[in-house]
Amino acid sequence: MLRRVVISRGVLLGMLLAAAPCAHARTRPAYGGTLHVEIAGDPWQRGTGIARRLVMDGLTDFDAAGTLQPALALSWKSDNNDHRWQFQLRAGVVFQDGTPLSAANVVASLNADCGDHCPWNAARVLGSTVVFTGEAAMPNLPALLASDEFLIALTAKADGSTPAGNIGTGPFRVTGFASGVLQMAANDNCWRGRPYLDGVEIRVHRAVRDQWLDLSVGRADVVEVPPEMLRQARQQRLNVVAAQEAQLLELHVDGSRALANPMLRGAIANAVDRAALANVIFQKQAEPTASLLPEDVSGYAFLFSTTRDMNEAFRLRGGLNTPPLLLSSEGGAAMQLAAQRIALNLKEAGFNAQTTAAEGRQADLALRILPMEARKPAYLLALLMREGGEVAPQGAEYGSSTELYRTERDFLASHTVIPLLYLPRAYATGPRVRELELDVDGSPDIADTSLEDAP
Amino acid sequence: MSLRQRLLILFSLTVAASVAAVAWTVLVRMRTVFEERDQQETALFVSQFQREFQTRSSEVAASVERLAVSDRARSMAFEIAQSDDSAQYVTAAQTMAQDAQLDFLEIVGPDGNMVSSAQWPARFGYPEPAVKAAPQGAFLKQEELPDGSTTLGLFAVRSIGNAAPSVTLIGGERLDKNFLAELPIAPGMTIGLYTMTGSSSGQAATAAIPSFNTRQLIGVNGNIVGAEQYSTLIERALRSGDQTSSILYLTSRREDSANVTAIPLKNEAGQVLAVLTVALSRAGMVEAQQTIRTTAYGVASAGILLAIIFSLWIAARVSRPIERLAQAAEDVAEGNWDTRVPEEGPGEVEVLAQSFNHMTEQLKNQSEKLVQTERVAAWRELARRLAHELKNPLFPLQITVENLQRARALPEAEFDEVFQESTQTLTTEISNLKAIIGRFSDFSKMPKPELERVDAAEIVRRAFSLYSGGKENAKIDLKLDVSSEPMPLEVDRELMHRALSNLVLNAMDAMPDGGILTLAAHPVESGIEMRVADSGEGLTQEECERLFTPYYTTKQHGTGLGLAIVQSVIADHNGTIAVESHAGRGATFIITLPRANG
Repeated sequence: MLRRVVISRGVLLGMLLAAAPCAHARTRPAYGGTLHVEIAGDPWQRGTGIARRLVMDGLTDFDAAGTLQPALALSWKSDNNDHRWQFQLRAGVVFQDGTPLSAANVVASLNADCGDHCPWNAARVLGSTVVFTGEAAMPNLPALLASDEFLIALTAKADGSTPAGNIGTGPFRVTGFASGVLQMAANDNCWRGRPYLDGVEIRVHRAVRDQWLDLSVGRADVVEVPPEMLRQARQQRLNVVAAQEAQLLELHVDGSRALANPMLRGAIANAVDRAALANVIFQKQAEPTASLLPEDVSGYAFLFSTTRDMNEAFRLRGGLNTPPLLLSSEGGAAMQLAAQRIALNLKEAGFNAQTTAAEGRQADLALRILPMEARKPAYLLALLMREGGEVAPQGAEYGSSTELYRTERDFLASHTVIPLLYLPRAYATGPRVRELELDVDGSPDIADTSLEDAP
Repeated sequence: MSLRQRLLILFSLTVAASVAAVAWTVLVRMRTVFEERDQQETALFVSQFQREFQTRSSEVAASVERLAVSDRARSMAFEIAQSDDSAQYVTAAQTMAQDAQLDFLEIVGPDGNMVSSAQWPARFGYPEPAVKAAPQGAFLKQEELPDGSTTLGLFAVRSIGNAAPSVTLIGGERLDKNFLAELPIAPGMTIGLYTMTGSSSGQAATAAIPSFNTRQLIGVNGNIVGAEQYSTLIERALRSGDQTSSILYLTSRREDSANVTAIPLKNEAGQVLAVLTVALSRAGMVEAQQTIRTTAYGVASAGILLAIIFSLWIAARVSRPIERLAQAAEDVAEGNWDTRVPEEGPGEVEVLAQSFNHMTEQLKNQSEKLVQTERVAAWRELARRLAHELKNPLFPLQITVENLQRARALPEAEFDEVFQESTQTLTTEISNLKAIIGRFSDFSKMPKPELERVDAAEIVRRAFSLYSGGKENAKIDLKLDVSSEPMPLEVDRELMHRALSNLVLNAMDAMPDGGILTLAAHPVESGIEMRVADSGEGLTQEECERLFTPYYTTKQHGTGLGLAIVQSVIADHNGTIAVESHAGRGATFIITLPRANG
């Protein structure tokens, strides 16, 4: 852990040293210019899509330090032991097409986001406020509303028609999509204020190697650096901006079919070799974990052992035979390799697991990455548990680490979610980019970025 | 079976047997030739396969060697040796294998653990035992794949650098359908490769052989037609470890059979990892065999047809005169002595016909002479009988007439007395003459039977009642033995009574000192049987044979016509009469008549 902190600080020091000449030449950011970003995935992908937070905002937001901040909602309060929440909307906010933000728009957007899996039972309009009510207490609702899942988009225009694309209240608006490039322009009427950049062009589905090549020849300003290539990027002396422990790699276990027996799920949890995943596949850029919350957030992560225990795995399996298991993985080659490695680990433990690149609910095991959007333990645990299938943590807001630990321990004891690694999220920037910062979940804060060569 | 039929069958069998023998010989010879050709082609293919295998082995070894001496590999090995950190090369094998066009490549670190694997990237960190026991050249190895399957590969091992311990490369090519497609395959030849499942070190080959799986047998185009038929042959090759051949019928059609040779492919330890199958189609041979069979059938049919024609011709030349002779002989046997056969035919047959005609001519002449002789004898017998019969009454007549002549000289009273006595005698004797003449007349003119339905018991009982109880028959014990079953006859009641009475009288005559006379009637299988049995002295064999001859008699005063008349009556009723007798034990006359219908 200490080593990781040292490395992180070293990276920041390096960034500061690299930016020093630019800062010397130009101390204040300038407006203008178009930022060229290249990504390997989908810009609208929930959780990791880079375009979502450029176009849309949530009612709340986490700042770079992971602290909950007001966004489209100026204030909020809870009643009835967190069974009722009232969010007061910010006044004067308009969507990018000029439609005023209203409580009705917010309710429609939120209901469209979560459908039948909303953490609340009802969301309704009360003047300029949105009121959420739930049969269960919702102590972490403000944090949930800050997540990528609950960004507000216009679902119906003033004339009743449905918008053609994503229209939000964010700093950029979509202007077009051509030849694999998503084009966005600055939203002059953004409630946060106009961004420095005039526009952002996001080239999508670009291979990482090609992104790096484009970065080296100046065709791209910001490119992705996957965790497994972070070490190589640094060896190649790319200007890397990284957020450590920004993502959680977890194995989601479907406990309803072949692995309904919790003993079998426990055997799987003990059979996985986290060290091999972290040290080899992710090139020592990942941190093995058996808990949801990192040690520096919760303080008790060391209580969850990350050591592979084959004896325990055999004991828990107890000679039970399972039908062939299907292990799906999302993401690129490293994720597929990790899935294959886990399948190999499971084979050693007596399971027959086959990997598939397809992402689907039908898989018995799913290897997936979750963003770590918050830094407050209760909020982060609520977000991760929601991703793990829990609608919301029951009970009041966790008052102590002990209570938090018990909640997490009980949740993980079912082995439907097996935390594996904390992964960094990193980008490499070109010389034109000035002061690109990453949010706590590793999302690039492009709205506050400017270009050195802006007019 | 006639001579003609025998000749036909003989010729047909001869022709068919000859054709079958020739066809069988040709088929056997052809099969031998094809099998020799198959063996030669198989041996040639095996030789070519071994050369190709050797070439591939050299290519694989060369590819791995080139990789091992490349700057990239040496740099990698140096880094690993220096930093003891091989993680950064976890995907290096894939890139290097792609560049070297190898299907398999594994990078093994100095500790014997895998640094990177192109075929199974997730296996990094696992030990690779093949490195330790690897030979200098290429070798066969089963390689496990991430999907759980195994595949056969041709591998070579090379160390990077000379220092030990060193990083090692294990590269190889997959032996699959693409490899098979590059082998020199002759027309009609099908190549297959059966790969064993199991661990990469080939232990599966030494343990119990797993059951045959058709999916493990691949051909140039993927699947092999009739793959399941290969099971026995492949399992035999796996067990023995030796090359094995057999004829396999891939479908129900004989044309779809093949002469298959299974060649075990072994690793350095002699364990069978796969079986190469070389199938040479027997379609050509089967088609040729079918052509030969069809031709043989045609030739045999033509031969049989020719045999029929030839037999007919032979019959015309030989058998037909013989058949005519046989028919003529049957005619002669039936009494037609005028039968003649044409005196023609080849050699001996003509002589035979001439002899036959001469024989029938002689027979006819002899017969006519015999008839004339018998006729003369009959007339003489008749004359003798007549003379004998007539002589007896004539002598008293002559005496009486002479007495009358002498009595003319007697006084009238005496003459009247003599005359009265003489006329009485003359009347008596003349009556005797009439009776004699009447019996002869009756024999010559037997009345036509007037048939009516009569029970045999009634006829027998009537005769019994007529002759039983008479004073003249006091010494004779007359017995009746009649069945109680119905014994219907269609006969002339009176004629049958006369015939039976005649027999009863004969029997009484045969027992002058008395005895037992039995009248019996019983149904028998052939009809109704009536018996007249006496207990007299019986008859000799000669008497029995001549008893029914007209004018033959054993009595002193008999005419010899009684039994002849009886036989005539019985014959007119479609019956038979026979006599059984043994000297001293009497005689039995047996009349058998057909049972009346209804």
